[in-house]
Amino acid sequence: MFDIDWKGLALPFAYLLVLGGALMTFSTIYRRRKAAESANLAPWFGPHLQRDIYLSLLHLDPEEGAEKSPRVPDGVLRAALLRRAVEDIERLIHIKTAKQACGSLLQRGSVGDDLWQRFLRAEKEMEEELRDVVTEANALAPNWGTIIFQSAHEIAANTKLRQRLEEIQAQTDAEKAWWDKKRGQIQADFMKELEESEKGSTKDGNEDDAVVVNSPKKGGKK
Amino acid sequence: MSDLDHFSMLPIHMDPQSKAILPSGSRPSRALAAELEKLNNLHRAILSIEVPPGAIPLVPPPPIPVNPKRTANVSKLRDNGNAEYRKQKYAEAIKLYTQGIEMALQRPLWEPAALVREEVSMLYANRAQAHMGIGNWPEGAVDAEASVEARRVGNAKGWWRRGRCLTEMGRLDEAREWVKRALEMEGEEADLMTLLKDIEEKIAKVRAA
Repeated sequence: MFDIDWKGLALPFAYLLVLGGALMTFSTIYRRRKAAESANLAPWFGPHLQRDIYLSLLHLDPEEGAEKSPRVPDGVLRAALLRRAVEDIERLIHIKTAKQACGSLLQRGSVGDDLWQRFLRAEKEMEEELRDVVTEANALAPNWGTIIFQSAHEIAANTKLRQRLEEIQAQTDAEKAWWDKKRGQIQADFMKELEESEKGSTKDGNEDDAVVVNSPKKGGKK
Repeated sequence: MSDLDHFSMLPIHMDPQSKAILPSGSRPSRALAAELEKLNNLHRAILSIEVPPGAIPLVPPPPIPVNPKRTANVSKLRDNGNAEYRKQKYAEAIKLYTQGIEMALQRPLWEPAALVREEVSMLYANRAQAHMGIGNWPEGAVDAEASVEARRVGNAKGWWRRGRCLTEMGRLDEAREWVKRALEMEGEEADLMTLLKDIEEKIAKVRAA
């Protein structure tokens, strides 16, 4: 009963083997291509300068002649990490504002799918970046991770406010110069008018006088 | 930020004496130099933090609570300025307000921005008024604009002062636009309505002439 006809089964087995192999090859190639595609998508944000600075400081090269690399003081590292957090806050705000617009554009079909893919990837990277900053902050000072982004948020807001105020105050000189010029012109015009009216007034004045002088006479006649 | 495990090593080095981070190489990129300057400024600010007992040195404290010393100084300068203004010593008042503005803007960057906005908007509005007292319309207009930038809503005085300065300088169309925007922000504020009517009348007069 259990006398298996191996020769007869060879064909179905071969079929299964070929089928499985084909599917596997397809899946690996497909996946590899997909991965390459998403890796080739341009990143949403440019290079993260502040992050590069922070990490470069951690791996500072030794000075020429010296063997050991210089020890970067804690203050500098903290400042660098804080700068990195500030940049992250700005990117986060950008992502938040762009997400809705991007989503509705995608629904309407105004933008392609790869833009959305880039966006999602940026969002995911952002999450990792934030987590990384918190870990680094906790390593630099106990519990700093809980407040570093509060500080960074205020720094971002303060920097923007000061920049706007500076821009507005920078107009002062130009405005003053403009007003001096205009006031000078108004005065010149006024003086000219005054002169003219003075010149005219000697003539006009006589006529006026004449009228004034005349009218009572007229009145008198009547 | 193309890859989370990698970073580009930047050509920077540290000045061993001042601990300032400087770009290496003969021709550093402008963005890098600017960023490093910001970093060094922040480092200096962190170094100058007064460490309260029990806190870890060299860490920016959370935004609140704020060190009350600076707040007290700013409001003292403002009160002194107001006193001078009331005595009609406008130049003195302007000087005091200017000091107050500088003091408020020198707040460490990690302190609440909302606080800076509040202080600065009031000081700029007051300085605008002092400028108007001696007929410095352009300065008054700029200061009032700065005040409005710092605080848009609930700043009817700031809106009104710039509108008034623009009117005085004869920039009637600009003044009308400005006051209309002010009315959108502030609602039917009586002073602003009067000013708008005034401007409309002046425009009508100019058109007629």
